Amino acid sequence: MRLQLDFKSGTPVYLQLVDQIRHAAASGGLRTGEPLPGIRPLAEELRVNRNTVAKAYAELESQGVIETLPGKGCFLKAVGSPLTKSARNDLLIQEIDRAIVAAHHLQISEADLLALLKKRLEAFARQHSAAHD
Amino acid sequence: MINKDPMNTETPVIEIQNLVRRYGRHDAVNGLSLTVQPGQCYGFFGRNGAGKTTTIKCLLNLLRPDAGGVRVFGLDPRKAEVAVKSRLAYVPDLVAFYPWMTVRTTLEYLASFRRHWNRDIENDLLTRFQLDPTKKTTSLSKGQRTQLALIGAICPEPELLLLDEPTSGLDPIVRREFIETVIGAYQSGDPTRRTVFVSTHLISEFEGLIDEFTILEQGRELLSMNADAARDRFKKIRARLPQEMKLNLTGALQVKRSGREVEILANGNCAQLLAELKMHSPEELKTESLTLEEIFVASDVLKKAVA
Repeated sequence: MRLQLDFKSGTPVYLQLVDQIRHAAASGGLRTGEPLPGIRPLAEELRVNRNTVAKAYAELESQGVIETLPGKGCFLKAVGSPLTKSARNDLLIQEIDRAIVAAHHLQISEADLLALLKKRLEAFARQHSAAHD
Repeated sequence: MINKDPMNTETPVIEIQNLVRRYGRHDAVNGLSLTVQPGQCYGFFGRNGAGKTTTIKCLLNLLRPDAGGVRVFGLDPRKAEVAVKSRLAYVPDLVAFYPWMTVRTTLEYLASFRRHWNRDIENDLLTRFQLDPTKKTTSLSKGQRTQLALIGAICPEPELLLLDEPTSGLDPIVRREFIETVIGAYQSGDPTRRTVFVSTHLISEFEGLIDEFTILEQGRELLSMNADAARDRFKKIRARLPQEMKLNLTGALQVKRSGREVEILANGNCAQLLAELKMHSPEELKTESLTLEEIFVASDVLKKAVA
């Protein structure tokens, strides 16, 4: 799992870490039960405040993505979210709506948007199977 | 002193109120106020001569304020100098050691003033920096002197680390190691007892470390903000329009035009400016946040915004 920060992105640094770790988990860059880098080495490597990394890990833990085993560190959690199916749907709908709004302003047609979505799903699936080979 | 934030009952590590310090007729610091909470990494930015070092010297009681006051750990450094200094460590931009001492004897000497000294950190850092303990301090390079000063500052595990232009004049590898050491070795303790106050103009290197900052100009505060909030507030928008046209860009901090291309500096009103631009069907539209260094460089423009 490679993490890369961009101070120009406008997203707070800890949220960039959250997004990238979630991305790695979805694309197989990080597997269930695999340890995340320790807070200190990751902070040193990225040259960010330790509090920033700690905040990202706390956020991931509250989202149910990772779990902390005392004395052992943080690990990618096996089974998914503690939220109900409808709550999870609602969260995803917000993200989808954002993409639809963006597509409208970028003058991307409905058909193209659906095709792109399919393409991206395939890309993630490919990355995932490559990571597990 | 009254704490303004009712939610925060902890004593601030640094409190500066209306600080004034003159050299003759020159006002080096002229009414500066700022507060640093425990556990923060606070950036103190300003051009040469803005008053950064003068302010830090007032915190250390190396200079006395002409007006206003400073408190460190809630104490007045003029009255409780030892109590204050025993809880902090200071790395100045130019470090000097006794020329007859070796690296080892220098560290022993520094440790003799401290109640607590972490030998494990000392050994780790000597190895990491490949400093030979038997070497005389006079034979050290500038980078090695700074490394030795940093070891001397971190081993007592102080609650406050005061860094004054610590990395200027060092090569990029030493600078990188310096910052990694502050993150790794210093921040590894109880986070609420690890506060960093760093004055620098090499801002990009400290960008990831800084929680809050103050830009100092001519002895006054120009801007004090949380780093994430600042990157969210100050954004640069670049657009290429189908043709030259009139735009309503009120509230923009700065507009640069070159034919059909516009570059706009947004001040918390990015969404409104983007909406205006989108109405004119731009061929290209890009937004990026300003880094802390770019915010500092844009100080002249910011003056209008905060005025």
